[in-house]
Amino acid sequence: MRKFLKVILNNLIKGPSTIKYPFEDSPAPEKLRGKIVHNSDACVACHLCEYVCAGGAIKMQESEDKKGIDFVVWHDTCTFCGLCEYYCPTKAIHLTNDYHTAHLQADKYNYIEKTFVKKQPCTCCGEPIVPLSLAMVEQIYGKEGDVRGLSKMCPQCRRKILWKGGVSKL
Amino acid sequence: MNIAEFFVNVFIFPGGLFAIMLGLLLTGLDRKIYARLQRRVGPPIYQPWLDVVKLSLKEMVIPKTANYTVFRLAPLLGFAGMLAAIAVIPVAGIYSGLYQSGDLLVVLYLLSAPALALAIGAAASGSPYSSIGLSREISIMLAYEIPMLIVFLTVGMRVGMELGGTAIFSLSSIVNFQLSQGSLLLDLPMLPAFLAFLICIPGILGVVPFDIPEAETEITEGPLLEYSGSGLAMFKLTGGLKMLVLSALTVALFFPMGLGSFWLVNLLWFIFKCVVIMFFTTTLIRAMQARMRIEQAYKFYLLVPTALALISFVLTAMSFRI
Amino acid sequence: MGELLQNIVKKSPWIYRINAGSCNGCDVEMATTALIPRYDVERLGCRYCGSPKHADIVLISGPVTAVVKDKVLRVYDEIPNPKVVVAVGICPISGGVFRESYSIASQLDTYIPVDVNVPGCPPRPQAIIDGIAMAIEIWRKKF
Repeated sequence: MRKFLKVILNNLIKGPSTIKYPFEDSPAPEKLRGKIVHNSDACVACHLCEYVCAGGAIKMQESEDKKGIDFVVWHDTCTFCGLCEYYCPTKAIHLTNDYHTAHLQADKYNYIEKTFVKKQPCTCCGEPIVPLSLAMVEQIYGKEGDVRGLSKMCPQCRRKILWKGGVSKL
Repeated sequence: MNIAEFFVNVFIFPGGLFAIMLGLLLTGLDRKIYARLQRRVGPPIYQPWLDVVKLSLKEMVIPKTANYTVFRLAPLLGFAGMLAAIAVIPVAGIYSGLYQSGDLLVVLYLLSAPALALAIGAAASGSPYSSIGLSREISIMLAYEIPMLIVFLTVGMRVGMELGGTAIFSLSSIVNFQLSQGSLLLDLPMLPAFLAFLICIPGILGVVPFDIPEAETEITEGPLLEYSGSGLAMFKLTGGLKMLVLSALTVALFFPMGLGSFWLVNLLWFIFKCVVIMFFTTTLIRAMQARMRIEQAYKFYLLVPTALALISFVLTAMSFRI
Repeated sequence: MGELLQNIVKKSPWIYRINAGSCNGCDVEMATTALIPRYDVERLGCRYCGSPKHADIVLISGPVTAVVKDKVLRVYDEIPNPKVVVAVGICPISGGVFRESYSIASQLDTYIPVDVNVPGCPPRPQAIIDGIAMAIEIWRKKF
């Protein structure tokens, strides 16, 4: 009983410890896993994030005019697990620390993040492909020679060039 | 006392509307202080007023297994009892009470009206959780009535000793006796009775550690389970009035002195005394204790307050002989 | 007069939680929103009540499994009008991680009309308070 009285007296002296949330701001820690943000310039459309997504939130489909790939994340099924960020080879998909996710029922099917990964024509044969990122190509082929040019070629043309002479001849 | 004065006293100024607002304010103050004791910012003090307004605007859903008439009339029983009780209790300097003799026993009977209303309402609901709440409510009512009765007998006997030869059960006489001779707390044999009455208050109000009939997490609110809308609003009003009646009764029985003769100062002093009593019996105990089981509460009430009240009773009776 | 009553009424919404087969993660977050001093929801006038007949805003968590579906519908019918439904967590909105299970037929909004969604697995208590604030706005207009 005496211990409790001491606790109560301390509580009265220290005052309330509440964060009065809607009226004052409540900052999120930096490493909090919040809503997803996708960078379509760094994306290579490998579909790895779609494969590992726990909630089935990521869908990548080729667009109707075949000019690129539509990348859609539906936040209402995202588990915020972070597997997509862990497995992405180019770190194009990223979890911010935004936790303000409440929305009305009318916006339910609009609550998405939609980006468009553009396809560019291959510098050798002209077929539209999604270009690889520079970091990925350097990891596969090393850093010497014209690796930057290799990143803009389709896989068949890349194979042909490397068969003929290798990277350093470019 | 003519009819207009009667009407105003019972329905508007010290009873009725004023008492309802004050009782709900006491409940709100209790919630606010309880929150501050736990390092939270609580709801604003006038929150129970808003609760009652909201509840009376919602629709009332009546279960199919309920007895329609009794279900709707049961809340009115407790409310009417408490409204009558607050009109009877005198406050020094403001209001001199309605009757002249025997009103302490009337208040004793009226104090059991809200508990009975809860029990009747629970029986009319026809739900198994309500019947568990009903049996617990009746057992704890039987347990706290005993020390309360002994305390009333002791006070009546003490005042009657000086004034007549027999025990006096009139609240106005008790208040006038204390105004002229000093409060009853000043002589030592009455202190255990005061303590016993303070211990009875949490049981009567249904506050932790004795809120067994309305245990939220155990039997999902027991007797109040099937009530919604205006029936529930009436029960909340009765709860607020009960807190005011008990504080006013404690003040009138043990320390009713006023502060001078201006009515506003007397009123504020009375409200301050009620707040102090409420703090020590309800809020502080609620913040420090857990809920008791029904057999522990029953045993506690039959042992501790009864023993204290009996000590006072015996000491007062002995000095009566001398 | 209606405006004044609406303003009074929006300051005391009472909340009831239904667990429709959830893993209890969202239930823990809903409990902390009410009881922990840091996120105390009682300062907005809310109160967690123990009976569905006292409730105004109902928070539902969990995908609606086959075992619990009828019971959830019965408890939902007992809540007096006007009422607002908030779906907490991703399970009632879209099935969440359990969407391909044998015991889940479809989402919550095919059975009862939902008003506010709060996705997250589990959502942060501040996000739940946001959802409750939106629900209070909708509820006040229904009076």
